[in-house]
Amino acid sequence: MPEMARVLENRRESPWTHTLFFDREVKCAPGQFMMVWLPRLGEKPFTLSYPNAITVKRAGPFTEQLAALEPGDPIGLRGPLGRGYPLMRRPALIGGGVGIAELRLLALASEKPIFVLGGRTAEEILFHEEFRKLGPVHVATEDGSLGAQGLVTSLLPVQAPAYAVCGPERMMAACLDLLPPERTYLAIERYMKCAVGLCGQCTCSGWRVCVDGPVFPGTWVREMEDFGRRRRAKSGRWEPV
Amino acid sequence: MRPLPRIDPPLVNASGILSYPEVFAAFEKAGACLGGYVTKSVGPVEKAGNDNPVVVYSAEGGAPVLNSLALPTQSPEDWEKDLASLRLQRSRLIVSIYGGTPGEFARVAERMAPYADAIEVNLGCPNKVPGEQTIMESIGQSPAVSGEVMRLVRGACEKPLIAKLSPNSDYLAVAEACLAAGADALGCGNTLGPGLAIDLTSRKPILAGTTGGISGPALKPINLRMTYEAYARFQCPIVAYGGIATWRDAAEYTMAGACVLGIGTAFLGKGTRESAGLTRAIWEGVVAYLDGRPFPDLVGEAHRLPAPDLTHA
Ligand SMILES: Cc1cc2nc3c(=O)[nH]c(=O)nc-3n(C[C@H](O)[C@H](O)[C@H](O)COP(=O)(O)OP(=O)(O)OC[C@H]3O[C@@H](n4cnc5c(N)ncnc54)[C@H](O)[C@@H]3O)c2cc1C
Ligand SMILES: Cc1cc2nc3c(=O)[nH]c(=O)nc-3n(C[C@H](O)[C@H](O)[C@H](O)COP(=O)(O)O)c2cc1C
Ligand code: FES
Repeated sequence: MPEMARVLENRRESPWTHTLFFDREVKCAPGQFMMVWLPRLGEKPFTLSYPNAITVKRAGPFTEQLAALEPGDPIGLRGPLGRGYPLMRRPALIGGGVGIAELRLLALASEKPIFVLGGRTAEEILFHEEFRKLGPVHVATEDGSLGAQGLVTSLLPVQAPAYAVCGPERMMAACLDLLPPERTYLAIERYMKCAVGLCGQCTCSGWRVCVDGPVFPGTWVREMEDFGRRRRAKSGRWEPV
Repeated sequence: MRPLPRIDPPLVNASGILSYPEVFAAFEKAGACLGGYVTKSVGPVEKAGNDNPVVVYSAEGGAPVLNSLALPTQSPEDWEKDLASLRLQRSRLIVSIYGGTPGEFARVAERMAPYADAIEVNLGCPNKVPGEQTIMESIGQSPAVSGEVMRLVRGACEKPLIAKLSPNSDYLAVAEACLAAGADALGCGNTLGPGLAIDLTSRKPILAGTTGGISGPALKPINLRMTYEAYARFQCPIVAYGGIATWRDAAEYTMAGACVLGIGTAFLGKGTRESAGLTRAIWEGVVAYLDGRPFPDLVGEAHRLPAPDLTHA
């Protein structure tokens, strides 16, 4: 059952990204997600970036509506759902695009994290200042406006006892090729319907991302033939990632 | 009548739960105690189903679960490709089908039969997309139309057929028509209702499809009764669904007359390993209850025990 909360603040992080704070704190593990409901517009999964906020990149009609919310507006929340990250010591947190926001709570919970962040431009490197207070930050942007010019993979490998990767699936697939899978965790995205393991919609090679993930050990992801390749659309039809 | 394929252990998932072949393979690999897997209902043309939200449940559990997926399906061609690549090691595959007309049921059954050990004909899904033109709910209400569906499906394929009934119907009359038209087993049954849930803030129904079929613990006594009555009347093989979450539920349905037990809503919130553990716990509990007797001995037991002797008093 979704619970209705109210928006406290809509903070613009970049031209495409907004952090929506609501009047409810969620006890969650870093990497867990909420099903966010706007009556009559839909319900979609978003990772908590604060115990009381999600960070949303405008990508389509639903996220446009989220980004347009104002303080006081109602927002339905169901969760926390799924499995988050295990606790890690000195992890390298590797983020791309809005996936950087999905690593924020893990960064705060981790002992001495280091950051490896990528985006198209400087504006996509979310929470850059905040992360610099927590540990070393390595950045790559495609246009060279911040850090090195290029893709996040150009900064790899970095030495760390553990790795957490969150970003576009193809970026994560490229990263996994360069990292030790037994010490790496990745957050997988799939279109979701029930988000509680019933309908099978969110399958990635048979694992239901909503209950078995969204965070998976790299050793499992290595075995997933669908990872980086295909996902099920709303009807169940396969479509390329 | 064709016998059902051997489903050992006699547990399956319910249609629309887990749904896809690669999920079945993952369950089998994780050691799930399911002797068969039932696909999402396959329809005649690709359909996205309802928008989200599609489920309502209580985070604390126990309360009725509503769903309004409204039968999303990929095209039969895409299902053929999916099922052709499925390799189950130990378990049987049951393909669930639906159509908008009796002829469509038959065409889907014909295409799916080569991949199936049995076909389950979904006669009673109460969910549809608002405004959608379909006779799905009315098919399962009408003995004549259900019989016609079964007659055409029987003509279109050789596989054992399970007629999955709706609890919102005169199900014994529907069952009789289906068995007369060539069904080999009954599925007891689909979700109940549909029901409704309203959000107190927006003051609107929560489900995008407005209403949703009721499953889980709230459904159990109703489908248990359906199983009991159907067994008493027809003594045919019965696949039971509705709120099976523990070995006790499974044992009750078995004694009511079910020879195969389907698990659906009980997987809510459970990952693959936990779900596999649940299936093992259910089957081990039933085996312990059997106390050395073979499982078929328990089927229909509730109908055979002599009435209690009250003459002492
Ligand atoms: C567990 C989980 C956590 C998530 N956390 C966040 C988050 O913290 N912040 C955030 O902004 N988004 C997050 N998402 C994605 C989010 O749920 C939406 O799918 C996304 O924001 C698109 O929303 P939309 O409806 O506005 O766009 P849509 O209209 O759905 O799509 C816009 C574009 O995105 C593409 N797209 C659709 N689905 C996917 C997909 N599964 N993977 C990749 N591309 C896709 C479409 O092809 C299209 O080009 C998460 C998803 C999951 C599964
Ligand atoms: C999310 C969901 C989707 C379902 N989809 C289908 C379906 O496609 N075809 C069908 O015959 N029954 C479908 N059902 C009904 C189940 O197969 C089952 O009959 C019913 O839920 C009762 O069992 P349960 O209480 O164990 O869930 C669905 C049920 C749920 C909860
Ligand atoms: S979204 Fe339904 S199983 Fe994951």
